[in-house]
Amino acid sequence: MLVLTRKPGEGIIIGDNIIIKFIEMKSGGVRIGIDAPKDTKIYRQEVYDRIRQENIEAAAGWDMTDLDILSDKLADRTLKK
Amino acid sequence: MKTINTRFGEVEYDPSHVLNFPEGLIGLDQLKDFLVMPNKKEGPLFWIQSVDDPAFAFVVTDPTNFFLDYLVVPDENERKKLGIDETGTCFVLAIVSISPEKNITLNLSGPILYAPETSKGLQVILEDARYSTQTPLPKIEKK
Repeated sequence: MLVLTRKPGEGIIIGDNIIIKFIEMKSGGVRIGIDAPKDTKIYRQEVYDRIRQENIEAAAGWDMTDLDILSDKLADRTLKK
Repeated sequence: MKTINTRFGEVEYDPSHVLNFPEGLIGLDQLKDFLVMPNKKEGPLFWIQSVDDPAFAFVVTDPTNFFLDYLVVPDENERKKLGIDETGTCFVLAIVSISPEKNITLNLSGPILYAPETSKGLQVILEDARYSTQTPLPKIEKK
């Protein structure tokens, strides 16, 4: 991993069109600003990791009898639209 | 027609009738094409079965059946990925999982946007502290 030291106000350019600016240190955190093309996906890593993990687990946990039981339970409480 | 071997047995499908996620699912970007499999039982749950990796199938549901105020509107960039304009229809789906205690939870922080006109889907991330990847269903209030 490339490790760089930056001061508040300084930035980093990644590729041709992503700019990361280090704004300030505040209550133990670092505030950064990111300029990137609209279609660049930017996520907090822990949020991304949580969703990735949930996707993997959601695909694994099922057996068909569970699903039948739950479907019966839920059929009653689905709102009529 | 093509066939894949899944937990549902051998499934025959028409490759032109798949639900396509141009970006795959989050963290699982290899999973791009899915078949929609109705659940045998009546009810709000149905399966989406991955074509790319038959080991992956997800139970999904319309979360607005349970969370009345849950609303996810695609932004311009997301609409572009779904191939629709501002007037295009877009539904939201949530991936369902089951806890060891057999309680059902919905992933409301990583919902799926689905555009029926183009058969395209997109999983998005909501950074909204009210929603978690394992949101329990609201308690039923006894009348």
